[in-house]
Parts: sequence; C-alpha cells; structure tokens
Amino acid sequence: MEEKTKVITKPKVEVILEEEERKRLKEMPLWRVRLYLTWREIRNNWRLFSENKIGLVGLGIIIFYAIMAIAHPILMKWVWDPNIYDPIVGYSYDEVLQPAPPSFRHLLGTDPLGRDVLSQLMYSTRSEFALGILAAIITVTIGTTVGAVAAYFGGIIDTLLMRLADLIIMLPFVTILIVLSALFKMNLIILAIVIGILSGFGGTGIVIKSQALTIKVRAYIEAAKVSGGSNWHIIFRHIIPNLMPLSFLYMMFSVTSAIFSEAVLSFFGLLNIRMSWGLMIHTAQTAGYLLNPKTWWLIVPAGLSITLLCSAFYLVGRALDEIVNPRLRKR
Amino acid sequence: MAESILKIENFTMHYMTKAGEVSAVDNVSLEIRKGESLGLVGESGCGKTSLAISIMKLLPENAVIKGGHIYFDGTDLVPLSEDEMRRFRWRRISMIFQAAMNSLNPVYRVSDQIIEAMETHFGNIDYSEAREKVANLFRLVGLDPKFMDQYPHEYSGGMRQRAVIAMALACEPDLIIADEPTTALDVIVQDNILRELKALQEKLGTTMIYISHDIAVIAEVSHRIGIMYAGKLVELADAEEIFHHPIHPYTAGLMSAFPSIIGPKRELVTIPGEPPDLLNPPSGCRFHPRCQYATEICREKEPEFKDYGSGHMASCWNPLEG
Amino acid sequence: MLRYVLRRLGQIVITLFVFLTLVYFLLEAQPGDYAQTFLSNPKLTKEQREALKAQFGLDRPLWERYLRYMGSLLKGNLGISFEHYPRSVVSVIAERAPRTILLFLTAQILSFLLGFSAGKVLAWRRGQAFEYVLTIGGVTLYTVFTPWFGLMMIWIFAYILHLFPVGKFVTPTLWRGAPVDANYVFIRILLSAFVASLALFLVLLATRRLNLALRRGLRGAGVLIILAGLLAYWLPSGITRYALDILYHLILPVMTLTLINFAGMMLLTRNSMLETMREDFVMAARAKGLPEGVIRDKHVARNAMLPVITSFIFSIAFVLDGGVITETVFSWPGMGLTLLEAAVAQDIPMVMGGLVFTGTLALLGHLVADITYAYLDPRIRYT
Repeated sequence: MEEKTKVITKPKVEVILEEEERKRLKEMPLWRVRLYLTWREIRNNWRLFSENKIGLVGLGIIIFYAIMAIAHPILMKWVWDPNIYDPIVGYSYDEVLQPAPPSFRHLLGTDPLGRDVLSQLMYSTRSEFALGILAAIITVTIGTTVGAVAAYFGGIIDTLLMRLADLIIMLPFVTILIVLSALFKMNLIILAIVIGILSGFGGTGIVIKSQALTIKVRAYIEAAKVSGGSNWHIIFRHIIPNLMPLSFLYMMFSVTSAIFSEAVLSFFGLLNIRMSWGLMIHTAQTAGYLLNPKTWWLIVPAGLSITLLCSAFYLVGRALDEIVNPRLRKR
Repeated sequence: MAESILKIENFTMHYMTKAGEVSAVDNVSLEIRKGESLGLVGESGCGKTSLAISIMKLLPENAVIKGGHIYFDGTDLVPLSEDEMRRFRWRRISMIFQAAMNSLNPVYRVSDQIIEAMETHFGNIDYSEAREKVANLFRLVGLDPKFMDQYPHEYSGGMRQRAVIAMALACEPDLIIADEPTTALDVIVQDNILRELKALQEKLGTTMIYISHDIAVIAEVSHRIGIMYAGKLVELADAEEIFHHPIHPYTAGLMSAFPSIIGPKRELVTIPGEPPDLLNPPSGCRFHPRCQYATEICREKEPEFKDYGSGHMASCWNPLEG
Repeated sequence: MLRYVLRRLGQIVITLFVFLTLVYFLLEAQPGDYAQTFLSNPKLTKEQREALKAQFGLDRPLWERYLRYMGSLLKGNLGISFEHYPRSVVSVIAERAPRTILLFLTAQILSFLLGFSAGKVLAWRRGQAFEYVLTIGGVTLYTVFTPWFGLMMIWIFAYILHLFPVGKFVTPTLWRGAPVDANYVFIRILLSAFVASLALFLVLLATRRLNLALRRGLRGAGVLIILAGLLAYWLPSGITRYALDILYHLILPVMTLTLINFAGMMLLTRNSMLETMREDFVMAARAKGLPEGVIRDKHVARNAMLPVITSFIFSIAFVLDGGVITETVFSWPGMGLTLLEAAVAQDIPMVMGGLVFTGTLALLGHLVADITYAYLDPRIRYT
C-alpha cells in the first residue's frame, strides 16, 4: 500500500519521448532518468527561448547589470579609494565644483554632495535586484497559492478571493504605496513585502487561477482524489507544480513592477533607504538640479538604468511567454 | 431552353503554402442555366468550397488563379479588380456560408446587417422601407419578423441559418451559392430548411449552387449534380442520370456507400484508400490509385471531360456501362 | 441593458463600501494612535479639538469609531488638513480635483484614440520593418521610467525647443489682475467639454435610424451647431485667454501621459485586429460587397475593440498613477501632487482624503468603462 501511494504522489508532468530515448531510459535507474528528463527540458526550453531575439536582449541587459552589482564591492576593495568613491559617504576631493561633470576619474561625474555617480549606480544595482527578486518571489508564492486554492475549492472561497483581487487591481498601485509610506515607515524589505502581498492577492491570482482551472479537470487529479489524496496534498503536489512555468513567467513581470514602484517611491523621497537609483534622481531634485539639462549625468544614468532593467525583465518575460503559452508558439 | 448564367471554362486555382503549391481546383469546366440548381458533391478537401469562393473571388491572399474563365451573364469575372467585383457581390451573386452561425456580426442587430447589404447596393434607401423589406424576407424564410431587431446570439441555430438565407436574398441576386447550408444543424431542422430552400428556389426562379459532402442532401434539392474529386470535376449530369447510370467509378462508389433504409440489408461498400495530397497529386487520372478499374493509361494520361450523351459529362478512361 | 447598469452600480457601491472600510482599518493599523495624530496639531483650538473628538468618537470603542467615521464620510466630512489648516480636507479636494480630472480624462481618452487608431492601421497594413520598429518603440514607452520620461519631455520641448512652458498650470504674469480665479475657469472648461461630448453623443444616437444622406447631413449639422455653441459661450465671456493659457499648460503633461499609455493599447489593438480578421463574419462582409474601409471599421475594428476596452478598464489605475507622477514632474497642482505633498508632510487627514478621492475616482471610472463595454458588446448584457 505504501509503495502505491508513493507512486501517485509524484507530480505528474507530461513528457513526450522518442523511441530511442525511451529504450535508453529503460536501462537507467530512476534518479538518473529524472535528471536526464530535467536536463532535456531545460535544453529544449533554452532553444525555444533563444529563438526569440528579444528575450536574448533582455537577458543580456540583466547579465550586464548583474556584473555591475558584483563588480562594485571588488572595485571598492581593490581599485577605488573608499574616501572618494564610497557611494554614500564618499567625497571627491579631487573635484572643485560639485556636481562635477564626467571625467576620467569620475566616469559619470559626481552628485551635488560630491559622491561618485558611477559608484552610486553600481552600488544600487544590488539592492534593485534584491528588492525585485524578493518582491517577485512573494508575489508569485501568494498568487500561485491563491490561484490554485480558488480554482480547486471554488464556491465562496473563489468568490471572496476574486472579489478581493478585483478590488486591488481597480485601485492605483503607486498611490496606495504612497499612502502606506506616509502611514508606516518603509525600508526596502518592508516595501518588498508590501508589494509582494498587494500584487500577490491582485492580478497574478486571477491569471493563475484560469490556468489552474484547466489543470483541475485533468485525469490524474481525479486519480489522486480517488486514491485518497487530501485536498491540500493535491493542491501542493499536483496542481502547483504544473503551474510553475506560468508562475515563473509572472515573476519576471513582478520584478519589473517592483523595481519601477521602488524607483518612483524613492524619487518622491518617501522611502527609508540609503541609496537607490530613484533616490539619485531625488537628490538631484532637492538640490535644484532636476530640470537643468546641463547636469544631465545626475538624471540620465539613473533613469536609463531603471528603464533598461525594467525593460529587460519585461522582455525576458515576453520571450518566456512564448514558451509557456503554447498558443503563442510559432511552431 | 433557358440561357446559361454561369459558364466556367478550364478554371484552375492553386494555393501557395509554406509547404508548396496546392492544386486546389484543376481545369474545371461547367455550365449552369438560369433557374437551375446544381449540386456539387465531394469529400472534404476536394475543392468544392474553393471553387465556390473563386466564383465570388473571395480568395485569400495566398490563392493564385492559374488560368481559365468564369463567365457570369456574359462577363468574365477572372480579370476583374476588387472594386469591379464589388458590384457583382451580393447584388448578382450571393452566398450562404458554411457554419452560418459565424457569418453574422455579433455586435449588430440582424435587421441592421441585412439593411447594410441593401444600402450598399441600392444606395439611398428609405429606412422604414428597408425595414419593411427585411420583414418580408423574414416571412419568406419562415422567421417571425418580430425577431428582426435582436442580436445573432439570441437566435437558435436554425433561426440563424434562416436569417442568413434571408440576408442572401436581400438584394435579389441571380445566383446563390449555398455552401453546406445545413451541415451544422440537427437532422430535423436540416430537413425543414432543405425543403424550404427548394421551394424558395422554385418560387423565385433563382439559380442555385448547392455544395455538400452529403449526397442525400444534394439528391433532394438539385436538378443537376456535379461530382468533384481532388480538385477536378469528374462527372456532371442530371440528378436521375447520376443515380441510375453513373459513368465514373468514383460516382458509383459514392452511390454504393450510401446506406438505404428501405430494401434488404447489404454490406456497405466503401472506397478504399484516402483522398490524395494535393501538393503532389497523382499522375494521370487523380482517382487511379483507388480505382478498381484502373489501367495503364489511367496512370499516364488525364482523361478528357467529354459528353456521353444528352449533357451527361464525365472524365474517365474506363467508363462504366449501363 | 438597464438591468445590467443597475446591477453594476450596486456592485460598485458595495465595493466602494468595502474600500472605505479598508481605508479606515488602514488608519487604525498605523503605529501609534491616529487619534493622537489628529489631535496633536498644535494649531487646533480647544473647541475644534472637542468637535473632532465628538465627530470621530475618538474616545469610544472601535466599532463606534468605525461607524462614526463612515457616517462622516457619507456626510462629506474628511477632517481638517494639517498642512492647509484651517481648511478642511474636502475643500482642498474640491479645489484640486478638477485639475486632476481634466488631466486624467484628456490623457485617458487620447491614449485610447491614438492607440486604437495606430493599432488598427498597423494591423491593416502589414510591413516587416514597420511592425518591428513600432513594437520596439511600444515596449520602450511601456517600460520607461515615468519621471525620467517626463523630465526628458520637459528638457526637449520646454528647454531646448521652447515650445511649451516648463511647468505649473498658469502663467503668473498673465493672470495678475484677472477677474476670476483659476478654478472658476477650470470648472467652465470641464463643463463645456462635458456638455459638448454629451450633445455629440445624443446627435449620433438620434440619427442612427435614418437613411444615408439624411444621416450624414444631420450629423454634420449637429457638429457645426455644437461648435457654434461652444464659441458662442466662450468668445464673449472674457475669460477665453485664461482658458487658453490653462490649455497651453495642459499640452505637455497630457502628451507625456498619453505617450506612456498608448503603446500598450496599440499593440493590443493590433493583435486583436489580426485575430478578428480571421473570423467568418469578416469573409461574409467581404462577400456582401462592402467597401474596404467599412469592413475594417464597422466589422473588424468594432469587434476587435472589445478586448481593448477590457484592457482600457484596467489601465484606469495606471493612468491615475501616471497622473500622480506627471503632476509631480510638471508641478501641475492637482490631487496627485497634493497627495504626495501630504505624504511627505505627514498630513494624515489629507493623505486619507486623497486616498478616498483616488479610490472613488478609480471605481467610478471602472463603472463607466463597464457600462461602455456592455453597450458595445450585446452578448455581455445577460451575465
């Protein structure tokens, strides 16, 4: 009896194999088979993904910024003089007038407080990634659970969750964040959690729910129910694993939204953080340099970075969409 | 002898697809007289719908007319431009589409859609007069005019079919092409509509082309029947002749494949094999791979489409006797 | 149709109620006692303090406080602003709201019209390079960092080209000694736009069932009459140049907000059109011998429009958000900027008031969009 239930509890994922592969796989032990199948899945998906140039562009940009994030502590430790180049407390004694325009020493110039702009840019990259990914993980965790639960149980639970989601998506996101930041002091982590909760109970849940509905009616769910699987067991072992591709896709869009929201809030000066791209623009504003095209290096690198990183995740998301959503596939 | 209203001469049309050139209609010739009803029968993909949309030049972008003429009331339609064709469409030739449910625009009222057709071809018409006409059309096809101002999704399947027929009649065309008008309906409604269509045709004297894969349907409504196979017209004769004296083996096969409720039970004789791939049609006579009477010449040369007496046409090297 | 409208109205009212309740509990959830915050304003006189206490029931149990709060909301009392003391929150909203509404409505309608037309043309005429450029352009506009984009617009159009003013919504020198204040002009602009649109809509509705020539003639005449009416009101009023000044300041913010939003709509319209073109009734329309333009607009676009309107419904929230950012960058003194300033200054009553306003506006927009959708798609009226 123990053996039988174990077999049914493995998450069921549909795989199509060729004759040759099937023969070879018959010889291998179970763990090796699963490893092989996973590798094959990854390889196929990569091929599909790289067919789409747009996705590759996005991925390239992400890698570029990731390198920047990693390079910064290295530069700070071994190349740059921390007194001058520290993004928060440094001061460039080598320049007379602050903010100084770009030069060899300061590739992107300095800000009104004498800090190196490039250093600030690279330092913030780390927190942007952290914020984006944390918010995305929370969003998707909540969204997937909400979607699966609403689809599986239906009835009043479904109605409540969907009505809540409707309310959330009707309301302007940034406005709500502004209000929240006035009422509660927010730093990056709290912001990530707040964004995660709001987005998770909002639109993401609705999309995932429709996908979950199509999974709910498949044969292996019936089989699991008949063989005595409890509700939660079915949800977590069968439905959710099949929702993973879609969830992963929505993580990309969540990152875009999170980075954007954080940038807007720090641009408004409502966030309790030490350095971020949005904050760089805010600093320029409080010092009165916002509308001055002559001090472009205070605004352009930060604004461009926000745009680029947001677009990058969005493009990767779009490319993933083609893989995950079979209707859109060109084949 | 009534004059001919539609004369198709050696008409050939191909589809350009990614996989290659599909020979959808090959060298088809036929003639229909005014007031006659012609039934076109054939398996799916034999080219009957392609021929139908070719007559109205409603071809998709990847379709190419390779040759031939379609004379409608003396005018060759093949070289006409889109603008010129528009004068013919609906006003002279109209169509009842397959799966008529979807040929009505879901966001407009049915009456408005019919009036739109009238406005396009009759110009500045008085709105209340137009509504009167629509009401009359509805009564003609057996619909209560009180449904006139509803939306298509409020109609049942049979009602939608009738509405589409009414729309096809709106501009009093000379020729109506009915492409599988009853395929999507249940048998009883199908029977009603067929009988009404036949009565309408006799009453109004409109020329009709019926297209179907169901030979029973065709038998009920046509004066003459044309059999199509793999893009070619293989036989064309009066309905009686086709049933009792088929010349082409394919026609004979179709007859035997049709079970009869009356009479003794007999084994269903099917035609072996499958319809050919039109990317690479068989050489010579396209039916030869499935024909039990096929000989050497059937594989080499295409048979001529000739008259076997009193208008009974067929193209076969080994025509059936009797 | 009426039943549908009433049903939706009921739903929105309930949603609004839930929203306001959530707003209240947000207030309660704040660290520290919000009562103290309200009362801690040193500028309040003793009488006002007592009045506030009574009004909000600040020394009563939770459920009573909630009821009193909801009660005063319904009566239109949102408290007294700290920053703008002694003005009440409601009076500040009344002053600033028309500016936001003008910006929001104009941008929303323009981005829909622009996006839809561009998408329609894009789908009807296909061309490889053309599509590629527009898709990339669209995605860029969609993901660009809004404040940065706004700044770029100012740099290019105001500083470099000197085409438009840098910010604010009036030119102070022009308005010195003006007989009326800005709000007066604002409300007149909004009202005349509203009345003109309503009149236009009625004309279109009334002339639907006539024959072709009469229909076109009457509609043309109707448009001319409405235009004449507008001119007749504005020209002799003496405040035209003030109105024009406001509109002049409106152009750049509207342009910014529109550009950011129209890309999504354009791409969606294009995809929707391409899918709709494959439907059977389009082939039937061609068979009826209708001219190309009529097929494209009356048949394809009219149906392709439906998913676009759905996304339009969702974009309301985004436009409101974008509005807040645009108001900040352009110093356009609307509700968005007010909300932001209140948040920075910790003016809690004003912040909550701004939230209530924005939420209500969003829900109203939703309702209007839903009804429009039901009007356009007869199939939905029965759900």
